[in-house]
Amino acid sequence: MGFTVKKEIFEKYIAFTLCGSLDSSTAPQFNEEVRQVILQNPQTLVLYVDELNFMSSAGLRVLIFAKQKLGTAASLILVRPQEQLLETLRMTGLIFSVSIVDQYPE
Amino acid sequence: MKAESQSRVFEAVPGSLEPIRDFITTFATAHDIDKKKIFKLCLAVDEIATNIINYGYRLADIDEGTIHVCVSYRNRQLTVILEDHAIPFDPIKKGMPTPEELMKPVEERPIGGLGIFLARKSVDHFDYEYKEGKNHNIFVVDID
Repeated sequence: MGFTVKKEIFEKYIAFTLCGSLDSSTAPQFNEEVRQVILQNPQTLVLYVDELNFMSSAGLRVLIFAKQKLGTAASLILVRPQEQLLETLRMTGLIFSVSIVDQYPE
Repeated sequence: MKAESQSRVFEAVPGSLEPIRDFITTFATAHDIDKKKIFKLCLAVDEIATNIINYGYRLADIDEGTIHVCVSYRNRQLTVILEDHAIPFDPIKKGMPTPEELMKPVEERPIGGLGIFLARKSVDHFDYEYKEGKNHNIFVVDID
């Protein structure tokens, strides 16, 4: 299954499309991508995750890192997470710190 | 005829995490276990295997560690046992985040500490034993 991440930079937001498995072997790759875009100080970071089949705490740590670095005014948006990922976000309380939408932009 | 149990030895490297999950998923799928339960079991196992790889063997200064994975199905319970010979580490003794901490805004939370919490919360029973020089992490899922 592996993991792929695709980055797109738009005028008002930066988007990543994540596919496959985000575990501790693949999270460093995503973390590095996030670290680089944070330098551009985006106010909205969008993650297209409908094809992300697995995410462990290593992936959650990247989300926490991103939100902490972006600051409270910035938005972290997850588009169409699978049910299992939603449950992980609920269990850990991270669901309150991200926005879940069916599509972006609307 | 479906096997009642299977075991396999994996190298204790990050690249083994996905093969370990695949090994468990293949076995559980053959026993018609619900996809959601399989996902949660894989999450629990992945979290503990990650700790063994990233901390257990490193702290033990062992370069070529292994993780022995045994998966079995008996009496409507699916059990996974991970065995390793890294430093003794009992995840049950590790503190869990409180509900209040989990409700905190992400900006006020530490970046780590969720792995063992997820491991223990994602299966019906979690147990740990240290015997014969090995850690045994035991994950049990009840099948309705």
